[in-house]
Amino acid sequence: MNPAVKIERRPPSEVMRLKRLGCLHQCRLSFMRILTRRMARENWRFTRPLFDINDKGVGRAVYTAHTSERPYSLVAFAHDLPDEMRSDRVIAQAWDATFTLFDGIPAPGDIDRLEQNVPFQEAGRLHESELSMSRANRSVRLWNHVVDSLAQGRQPDIEQIDEVGYLMRTTAVYGSGKFGTADFETVSARDELQAPFQAEMLSVYLTRAFVRDLAEHAAGVRGGANATRLEPALARRLGIGNSTGLGMAPFLVHHPVLFNNWIMVREEAIARVRALESASDEECDMFHNMLKRGVLSVEQWRSDHPAQLEKLTCLKDDIRKIEKFATRENLQRDHPWNQLMTWAASTLTEEGQEWLASLILEPYGELVDGLASCMSDGNRDAFTINGAMSVRDARALIKESFGWALNIDWNAKENCARAWYVSEEKLEPRLGERFEEDIFTDASNDFEQPLAPARDGVAAYKALEQWDGKKTVAEFLLRHPEHRYSIRRAQIGAHTPYGEIHDNTISAALLPIDMLRAKLSFFGATHFDPRSDRWVRIRMYAGAPYPDELNTQNADLWVYPETAA
Amino acid sequence: MDYSLNEIELIAKRATRGAGYVWGMAEEAAKATRWLCSRDMDGGSELARLLQRELSQNPDKHVPINIEGDWKGAEVLCPLMVGASLSDCAARLKRAPIRTGRIASPAILLPFGANAARALECSISLECDGFKAVTDGIELSAPDEFPVEVDAVSVRIGGMLGDLRAHRTRSHPDPDGWEILEAFARKTYAPATEQSRLLGAGAGLSDND
Repeated sequence: MNPAVKIERRPPSEVMRLKRLGCLHQCRLSFMRILTRRMARENWRFTRPLFDINDKGVGRAVYTAHTSERPYSLVAFAHDLPDEMRSDRVIAQAWDATFTLFDGIPAPGDIDRLEQNVPFQEAGRLHESELSMSRANRSVRLWNHVVDSLAQGRQPDIEQIDEVGYLMRTTAVYGSGKFGTADFETVSARDELQAPFQAEMLSVYLTRAFVRDLAEHAAGVRGGANATRLEPALARRLGIGNSTGLGMAPFLVHHPVLFNNWIMVREEAIARVRALESASDEECDMFHNMLKRGVLSVEQWRSDHPAQLEKLTCLKDDIRKIEKFATRENLQRDHPWNQLMTWAASTLTEEGQEWLASLILEPYGELVDGLASCMSDGNRDAFTINGAMSVRDARALIKESFGWALNIDWNAKENCARAWYVSEEKLEPRLGERFEEDIFTDASNDFEQPLAPARDGVAAYKALEQWDGKKTVAEFLLRHPEHRYSIRRAQIGAHTPYGEIHDNTISAALLPIDMLRAKLSFFGATHFDPRSDRWVRIRMYAGAPYPDELNTQNADLWVYPETAA
Repeated sequence: MDYSLNEIELIAKRATRGAGYVWGMAEEAAKATRWLCSRDMDGGSELARLLQRELSQNPDKHVPINIEGDWKGAEVLCPLMVGASLSDCAARLKRAPIRTGRIASPAILLPFGANAARALECSISLECDGFKAVTDGIELSAPDEFPVEVDAVSVRIGGMLGDLRAHRTRSHPDPDGWEILEAFARKTYAPATEQSRLLGAGAGLSDND
């Protein structure tokens, strides 16, 4: 069905608020789903050419995904990690398992080289033949429960499985040139890696298969002939966890074009569905089915964090309202999805609105999925400043992105209470208290990273106001190079309306987890479980078929748990 | 050791900031260094040599006093500042060549000339003290080495590409140059304090669960 009425995308002033970005949910355009659909559609083959793990659970393994064009191999190293060293922070020095995604099939010499480097993570060096580097730690309690149960010939308890949701959680997945891996640009012309983070998503997908095998191996060692394997239906409930700190937050600010493309594509998908005149019976059935299955996922969502608990209460309340309102009768009205979203905007919290926005896309793969090809950043020249632009036009552009920030008192402590910085400890990104911590109060230092585009944009705007509007940006920047950063962002913003967060990223009230969630939702993460205002655990691939099960029937909707027949 | 282009870009950005340039210029230096490396030049060492001159301590003395007419500074010009202006003023090249006064590390102007070439969709020539380079924004003809400082540079539209420099996906910086960049970059890293370690990033909870 073609869109008959043009429905505009929701405006950035609505979408780009942190409160809403912190309520985003996975959708058809999430990077994990883009990958699993492709792998099934293209009939990728999966092999395990090496699994050499000893009785202590130490060793190496290789998992290879064969596309029709080329293979990619996860090279995994399993370690014997003392409990006291188990930390998810960047500053950790050792892990339960470490990984790299190798571009091709590694020769024995490659694996030897990788074994000298990958287990050391940031302290190692990789080559252009590697596309990612990552590590994972066990969920100690679920690992022990699953391995103990299997060793005794029993299946693990389903409630304990759902309580944690994964046997291991990754604590960083590096790619795009970091620590010597290949730059994204060197592989982005390949169809299968063109969408964002596909190499990283593939690495995590294969990691999940390795972790299942490793747990079964450990159970076999412990239980001998008594041991059994994990039932496939239980194994599918297990995703891979991820534990994420602040590092993801700067990413969104450092990559305005990319962030814009993700948000704009989702907004475009929502607008396309809202523009549909009617919904067929089949489409309504699909929506109601996904609604039911989505409810199950929300019911399994665990968190102890007060802010998330409150959000979950709101979401559950919102879902009850959706169930009442989105009846078949209401969906038979004119422009049913638009009516539904309009109703939601005035009735539901942001959690419910965004959950619903993702859900209405589900019946419309043909209308939505092709947009995945627009989510990368292919415009390298966006960086180059147009110096011929007038001062007047530059002012107008800043106002477009940061008009909301012009009247903020940027000198008031509460409005600039925080400062983003990089620690010399493994270059971990951190957020500090500007007026309290010694590292900021010593005026001879300036450790602040450029992660307050609103404050800096307003400063540039005020400086531009002192200039004749007919002068050029080139003349202005020659005298005011300190505003070059903001002028560049303003010009990028002319083409990327969703590139800037419409909130203060250094406010005393900032919750960095909102930024983390926005990014992770595009990966396709579920079950966000904040551990503090700057740290969050999630699940990836929970419900997904394993490589040996993957087909076009189960490759997409796995994120919604199956209901009892 | 070889580095990815993202690595050279990031260290260049941090080093330039650490040397005292503003963030917007650090970004320019980073992209410029990456571009030089991707055209098989040791952009990292070029940048390291420039940063050691500490021109950012008195930035006003190392920028053109006026961008009408020839670009002369009170003292030796900084190629990052001049390069940024060259890129910003690309359209002026359609009227007349741009001539600079005495300038440090002229090789660093090449990526900015490439910006201008892409913006104007033509080739750009850069000449100084007998050295000549031509770029159409993508390709580059240039010698391996450029002087540390020259009395003048002339940038104009036109010129024929000669032997093209190879495109590289990795950089192989001279280790000394890389070490200098790292030393400057370290100035942007906050010292490790217990307060920072506890409050700055984590959850404050055990991960051994």
